[in-house]
Amino acid sequence: MKPKNLLPALLALGLVAGAQGAVPESDEPIKLALNEWTGQHITTRVAGEILKRMGYTVEYVTAGYYPQMQALEDNTISATLEIWSSNIGEHYDKALASGNVVELGDLGLQPVETWLYNRAAARDCPGLPDYRALNDCAQVFANAETFPKGRLVDYPADWGTSNVDRLKAFNLNYTSVPAGSEGALIAEIQGAETKGEPLLVMFWSPHWVHAVADLTPVSLPPFEAGCHDDPAVGVNPNATWDCDWARGYIKKMAWAGLAGQWPAASKLLTAYQLRNADQIPMMNAIDQEGGKLEEVVDAWLDANRAIWQPWVDAAMR
Amino acid sequence: MKPADRRRLAAWLAVITVAAVCIALRGRAPWLLDLPPAFVVPVADWFNAFMVWFIGAFKWLFRAANWLLGWPLAGAQALLQWLPWPATMAAFCALAFAASGWKLALFAAAALFYMALTGHWSPSMNTLGSVLVSIPLALAAGFALGVAAHRSKRVDRVVQPLLDLMQTVPTFAYLIPILLLFGFGPVVGVVASAIYACPPMVRNTLLGLRRVPREALESGLICGATGPQLFWWVQAPSALPALMVGVNQTTMAALSMVIIAAIIGGSADIGWEVLSTMRKAQFGQSLLAGIVIALIAMLLDRISWGFADRAGRGAAAAGRSRNHGRGGRGGRGHGRHGRLKPWLLTLIALAIFAGATAFIPAARVYPEAWVFYPADAINAALRFVTANYSAATDAVKHAALFYYLLPLKIGLSQAVTPFSWGVALTPGLVWGYAAAVGVIAWRLFAWRGWRPAVAAVVGGGVLYFGVTGLPWPPFILASTLLAWQVGGRRVALLSAGGWAFMLLTGVWAQAMLSVYLCAAAVLVCALGGGALGVWASANRRVSNFLRPINDTLQSMPLFVILIPFLMFFQIGEFTSFLAIIAYAIVPTIRYTEHGLRHVPAASVEAAIAMGCTRRQLLWEVKMPLALPEIMLGVNQTVLFALAMLVITALVGSRGLGQSVYIALSNADPGLGLVAGLGIALIAIIADRIIQAWSARRKSTLGIA
Repeated sequence: MKPKNLLPALLALGLVAGAQGAVPESDEPIKLALNEWTGQHITTRVAGEILKRMGYTVEYVTAGYYPQMQALEDNTISATLEIWSSNIGEHYDKALASGNVVELGDLGLQPVETWLYNRAAARDCPGLPDYRALNDCAQVFANAETFPKGRLVDYPADWGTSNVDRLKAFNLNYTSVPAGSEGALIAEIQGAETKGEPLLVMFWSPHWVHAVADLTPVSLPPFEAGCHDDPAVGVNPNATWDCDWARGYIKKMAWAGLAGQWPAASKLLTAYQLRNADQIPMMNAIDQEGGKLEEVVDAWLDANRAIWQPWVDAAMR
Repeated sequence: MKPADRRRLAAWLAVITVAAVCIALRGRAPWLLDLPPAFVVPVADWFNAFMVWFIGAFKWLFRAANWLLGWPLAGAQALLQWLPWPATMAAFCALAFAASGWKLALFAAAALFYMALTGHWSPSMNTLGSVLVSIPLALAAGFALGVAAHRSKRVDRVVQPLLDLMQTVPTFAYLIPILLLFGFGPVVGVVASAIYACPPMVRNTLLGLRRVPREALESGLICGATGPQLFWWVQAPSALPALMVGVNQTTMAALSMVIIAAIIGGSADIGWEVLSTMRKAQFGQSLLAGIVIALIAMLLDRISWGFADRAGRGAAAAGRSRNHGRGGRGGRGHGRHGRLKPWLLTLIALAIFAGATAFIPAARVYPEAWVFYPADAINAALRFVTANYSAATDAVKHAALFYYLLPLKIGLSQAVTPFSWGVALTPGLVWGYAAAVGVIAWRLFAWRGWRPAVAAVVGGGVLYFGVTGLPWPPFILASTLLAWQVGGRRVALLSAGGWAFMLLTGVWAQAMLSVYLCAAAVLVCALGGGALGVWASANRRVSNFLRPINDTLQSMPLFVILIPFLMFFQIGEFTSFLAIIAYAIVPTIRYTEHGLRHVPAASVEAAIAMGCTRRQLLWEVKMPLALPEIMLGVNQTVLFALAMLVITALVGSRGLGQSVYIALSNADPGLGLVAGLGIALIAIIADRIIQAWSARRKSTLGIA
């Protein structure tokens, strides 16, 4: 470091040291986005309650998954904590490109997205989980709209899925039937479960529906880098998309001014991690056992102080 | 046959020939089915580029407006949250009583109690708060536009097509541009609802001002009224009944946007509740929350209708008929103006008392222990039904798909397979089908002339090849020819231009899917709704039974209608089809009943005097006379069906609605606007053709 920069840096250090214990740095509330699904509510609430215990004022703002990106740009929302790499589309790039939004690193949640089948399917199509067994079982999964092809219940069209290409690459005589929404997907899963009908569905975890329906992933050829664009990569030499879905990641994002206005909060949110093993039990407690979000999260925080106290200590330092 | 008729028939035969040639060639020339991407005009990209520039230049203005609107919104929501629930309830009861009487007051009490009982009080109040801002905004804008259009012909010429677009372009399509301009927050929803809700106010303001009697104006002038005096003391009061109808319709339109606006988020309102529970497939939860919106809608509808009705009675000018689409409702219990005041005072006193209860905790905030929330029971019941009656619901679904929807969509040529119909489509069957269509056309020609015969041939062709299998040249030609023959050059130009827009912007395939789904639903609505309307016109009891059902269906927000169908039939086109029917069938029922009931009495008496049987009376006298009116109902049905398209995209229907929805999640305002304009154009083309036909028919019959 040049001596010219040393003085301001020392001053800044001194300020930080002086500001220690002066949390909150600003009386304005930190606004955290609440999106449409329970897992995200848990993720957000855990972080928000930790911030509150640090002394911040936290406001939870309901926000659509896509519209919230607009809100991050002008601090109408300060941070959003569960952005799935798989279905954020162009909003993510646009927001980062604006310069007003920054990434706070991975959340630590491990998402899995792939084709899943239920127990009735395992019964009627004994060759599973190997994907090559699917062709012989097309009739098992077919319905009136897709016959004679099998039916893969796919993500809603607007989530941008690649399963049509994947079915072609694997030479599977299946049709991708896009569901209209997450609710529609869950309705299919629950409907098949209550009726005992076989179902092949594109879905993800962590999700509470796994507590109600016993879903197993189809074992597709593993993802390899380049398989989406290079025909040579993957099991089918003549096709792209001939591999499993890439294991995605989940990001935290914030308004670019966060670190300036609330330095300690920004440090905490950057350090913040939530594992599948933490989120899934809370999700079940809320969606299956009818627990209240506030109580479930408070109970977790009380029981897991060892996990989050170090983040707070590091952030306050 | 007259020479003019001969020319028309020849034109149709030419179109049919073109269709035959195109269909024969479509295998070799796929561009006949949809233009290749190279020919697509990138209107969407242009619009996106324009948006980038526009946002850069004017963002500050809209952000300022957002900030400004944020205040009344936050204020209204904070006030409603702060008021103890018995106080809010008492206030609404008083309002309802003042509007219509004790029955409505009771309904208000029940509706508000439901919100507290099911634990939806706080989100409900947020919704009410935002509606309390968006409705006055829409009313003020609508009134101002209406007055401006009344004063200046030039403004009127700009405003009229704008109104059509505002009512037919789905809100989803302009949600993203509004979000980009105004920035995130509940204000976006308020603005979007206000845009959608203001046209009825404009139209009714215009209507009311146009109908101000000359004598009133002249006597005002004689008395020496200045311009503003003339307006506020003469014109506005005598236009009041129409204005109040506008208030009512605008209120309803604003409420129907509650859930759509919630897609943005920003305030924890009831629309958000419905949306997020529906996304989680928690049907019980979303139904319980959806009912709240339906209740708010019904309550505000009845209250504003009560005031509109009163204004209508109060105005000396009698015979100013109210919107007959909802005729005969809410008549009793009025005419007690004199006795009203003490009652109102009592209720206000009650409200103050309720305010005083602010110090009792249970009256301040509805206690959680008193909440009754049967969502799990509903879900369990639903699971029971799906588990035990799935065979029945599947059978219904399959029958409708195989024998009706699929033939319309992909044509009998592809829909008839051993798997679906149990028979293969042999050449013998094809020839048999062709012969049957020919015989029917021939019989119709002999019976009613060439028009139904041509209709039969065209219908037979569409059914065989499917709407999505039709090449675009004959489709555009047929639509334009029809528009020209019915409505003249302007309608024909609109038709040609509209379809060309969809073709050139690359949404043709989606447009055809939308046309197919709407056509399938409208056909059922016209036949089923028509039959119900006929029955209701002949039988008071049926009429009285249907009216509340119709009212409920119409004041139910679009989303809520989806829920029950989704429960039983899962995702897919069939669910969309049913939801569209449920929403769009109402106008046909109403207009049919109204049209049949208001056939000129003289004609009916003459027919009875001539010894007509009841059947003859209906089919030979009443039906032809009422047909123009019934077609106006069908017209409304078409518009409603198209409005529902975007919503059904959420449960897996394809087409333009889905494109709008995809655009929403890809942050692509251009695509959304192109697809939204496509829906609007289909609606406007259908509207103009049907209106023109109905007007011509009425003038022929001499009942204009």
